[in-house]
Amino acid sequence: MADKKNVGQPFPRVDALEKIRGLAIFAADIKLPGMLVGKFLPSPHAHAEIIAIDTSKAEALPGVWAVITAGDIPAEAIYNPSSRFHAFLARRFTVFVGQAIAAVAADDLATAEAAIELVQVSYRQIPVVNSFEDALRADAEAVIHGQSTETTRGSAHAQVIFTAEEPAGSEDRDGPSPNVVDENVFSYGDLESAFAESDIIVEYNYTVPTVHQGYIEPHAVTAHWDRPDHVIVWECVQGAFDARNLIAETLGMAHGKITLNSTEIGGGFGGKGEGIFAPLAVLLAKKAGRPVQLVLTRQEELLGANPAPRSLIWLKAGARQDGSLTALEAEILVDAGAFPTGWIMSNITATLRDNYRFQAWHLRGREVLTNKASVTSYRAPGSPNLSFAIESHIDELARRLRIDPLTFRQLNVIREGDLLTNKELQSPIGAEEVLAVLAEQPEWKKAAGERWATDGLLHGRGLALGSWAGGTGPAGALAILDAGGQIRMVIGTVDLSGSFTSLAQIAADAIGIGIDQVVINKANTDFAPFAPMSAGSQTIYAMGAAVKEAALDLRARMVRYVAHDFKVAENELGVDERGVYLIAQPDKRHAFETLYQLGSQWFAEYGPLIGQGSAAQRQRAPGYAACIAEVTVNPRTGKSTVDQLMIAQDVGKAINPLAIEGQMQGGVTQSISMALWEELLYDEQGQVRNPSLLDYRMPTAVDVPMIKTIIVEVPGGDGPYGAKLVGEPPMVPAVAAVANAITAAIGVRINDLPITPERIWRALQSAGKEDTTR
Amino acid sequence: MPNTKGINKVNSYNLNLTVNNKAVLVAIEPHLTLLEFLRDRLRLTGTKEGCSTGHCGACSVLVDGEPISSCLMLAAEADGRNILTVEGLVKNGELHPIQAAFVSEGGLQCGFCTSGMMLAAYALLEKTPRPTEAEIREGLAGNLCRCTGYHKIVEAVQQAAKVVSHG
Repeated sequence: MADKKNVGQPFPRVDALEKIRGLAIFAADIKLPGMLVGKFLPSPHAHAEIIAIDTSKAEALPGVWAVITAGDIPAEAIYNPSSRFHAFLARRFTVFVGQAIAAVAADDLATAEAAIELVQVSYRQIPVVNSFEDALRADAEAVIHGQSTETTRGSAHAQVIFTAEEPAGSEDRDGPSPNVVDENVFSYGDLESAFAESDIIVEYNYTVPTVHQGYIEPHAVTAHWDRPDHVIVWECVQGAFDARNLIAETLGMAHGKITLNSTEIGGGFGGKGEGIFAPLAVLLAKKAGRPVQLVLTRQEELLGANPAPRSLIWLKAGARQDGSLTALEAEILVDAGAFPTGWIMSNITATLRDNYRFQAWHLRGREVLTNKASVTSYRAPGSPNLSFAIESHIDELARRLRIDPLTFRQLNVIREGDLLTNKELQSPIGAEEVLAVLAEQPEWKKAAGERWATDGLLHGRGLALGSWAGGTGPAGALAILDAGGQIRMVIGTVDLSGSFTSLAQIAADAIGIGIDQVVINKANTDFAPFAPMSAGSQTIYAMGAAVKEAALDLRARMVRYVAHDFKVAENELGVDERGVYLIAQPDKRHAFETLYQLGSQWFAEYGPLIGQGSAAQRQRAPGYAACIAEVTVNPRTGKSTVDQLMIAQDVGKAINPLAIEGQMQGGVTQSISMALWEELLYDEQGQVRNPSLLDYRMPTAVDVPMIKTIIVEVPGGDGPYGAKLVGEPPMVPAVAAVANAITAAIGVRINDLPITPERIWRALQSAGKEDTTR
Repeated sequence: MPNTKGINKVNSYNLNLTVNNKAVLVAIEPHLTLLEFLRDRLRLTGTKEGCSTGHCGACSVLVDGEPISSCLMLAAEADGRNILTVEGLVKNGELHPIQAAFVSEGGLQCGFCTSGMMLAAYALLEKTPRPTEAEIREGLAGNLCRCTGYHKIVEAVQQAAKVVSHG
């Protein structure tokens, strides 16, 4: 194997030049001849029966080409009342504010908006299921109207499930309320005696509100029926095949009748997995007989486009005076909105305990439905929620035992070979290593700042550990030797996080050439071999393995050709930037261009050179990261500022350090934001009170500090060149690191996110620790 | 003569402005925002729409050197003015130092905020050629980025400032 010349180098993004010149084509940049504007009527009610819809006035408006309602959904469509995908257009009932009731296609946006206002709907309102208390009531209204409340997964739903195949002691799946749709229970050891052996026991409730992924590019999709039975779709999605399958399923179409082009994507973070709005555009375009483009407004995004779930986690944990953890008991409630997720609560319940060794545990998670927007993944789905709870709790135990919080974590941290909650054994991980690296940092070694500094401000430092088990789907790739000696990697994956650059580095090293000799060709679903969704941090891990395999296959085929041609053994040949050469006589060689010619000209002795990569599911390679945050709090106003943030992350092998640092800094910032600012506010009627970027507060450049990144490389897993998961782990620990820093500063623990100035101020007031410098 | 084909002449406005150093004379519907005009009429789609309410900054362009949210300005208000969009940053085939720095420092990820972000940086460096980190952050505070955490954007602007102030 050639030396690694490309892997490990900080290459700028291969798509940077299009993007910084404004030339990259995003989904809303697509423009087709005769293209119409699509628009949908969002439900004004969180829970209602649709009595009648009158579309006649909208249809009569000049410039309107199509109006659709649920009656236009083909009879062949698969429909399960508990699938959020199948609810892309409300049928008899609408179950959250913002759900599409009807949709129109018109000449321009103004006409489409006017037409939407002319659609007349009469509703019968139904009591809204809003809170956890509502959702758990046995006599609550059912959110799902249909026969089944079982968690379902359609074929369009390719998410990795973390639950063990047979959860230990799983209880009755049918909760007392119709809105408890999923329940997991994990038990191990003798909980009672483990608590009895404890010197201290800490018990708290932790709440995390609904937050939004906050990608800057709203969902956008364009549909064009080029033949009576065939549609071409351009869409910003994380999974092209998932998006295609979603359309096939929801509209009852054969997969081969849909060509899905994934465009550039302006951020997804889990929120653009399958592209839930495409069926609307496809149906509108069919009925209108013209291409239709549907672009969401920010308000529509914040109302109805699948945010991340609210959770309530009750924890009771014990420890001994010597610092060893004993027992952990947890009750987890996840508010999935109007449809079951099938994986977020399971992930929380099955991994809540897994960063630390306990003697015994009993963990019970339930996912409940309410009349709110259906939730989905957001960067390490559920893990920031569980991390906020467990890492606050661990910190509190350390504080009460008067043990340094880093030392306390090092004492109890999980290690390779330990039993995981799901009964698997922990694989090689970098948990100890990331903690050890932070322990050596001057920022940690120096004494924690005085709480009451002379400036009248409060200072605190906090630590947290976080992990993400990640996804590991199968993946396919092709490597094609093309004219000019260019190596084309043909894949169907979406570049969500700079992965094409890293994939090019992987392919280049596999063959033994330079990165500029490789081009990553993203193909649509007609031309690409299967690619898993760019989610679960799996792209480099899973698709990288397929790309490496395809590149190695192409290399082997090139070597075989040349060996035959030169009449030498294959092991007498080498490959470098200029082609395949005889090791004993390096100027005897075939350039890549020559090899291309030999395989493509008339009377060619060989066929064109094509390598194939087909990688099976990989072993899990969990990613670990740890954070230190330093904050300042003004006790008069309750305002907190993050002054310093440092993160150490185990990435296995850093394929592209520049890209990895960017992922770490971005993930940390979203995590800080979750700790301090973000919350989608719902009123009792299920209305979102802050559906704009003015009121839904995401951080700007002035709100966050520079973020120090430390890349740690601990071997493990079977990813290409030893790479592990990168994108999601940094999202996990910072939320608790910031919360712990605030606790250190104000001396009070705030267990409800976001930790707003008001909450800090109230906590200080009730603790009788108001500003004494006044 | 402005191209008035297809437009109700009573309900049209003859717009006369400069976009990326090129004179533009065109009849438009007066309700068009500057963002719609740039994206839909001129097909300069490097300027992005993220919220249409002036909060995200993805649609930032420079009007006579000042960064503005083009979703909040009517195209007619830009009459007689000089507009710079991301497509105008390249001069004689050369990347502007801000563009080069965004590439080399990793100042972009998904690229959706990048056009607006670079134009905000451009306006900042025109006024403050050697900005402090705090001045850079202040100068970019009208532009949301969800991917980078701003760290490498700040570094890219620092790098560009070095090149620009030495150039």
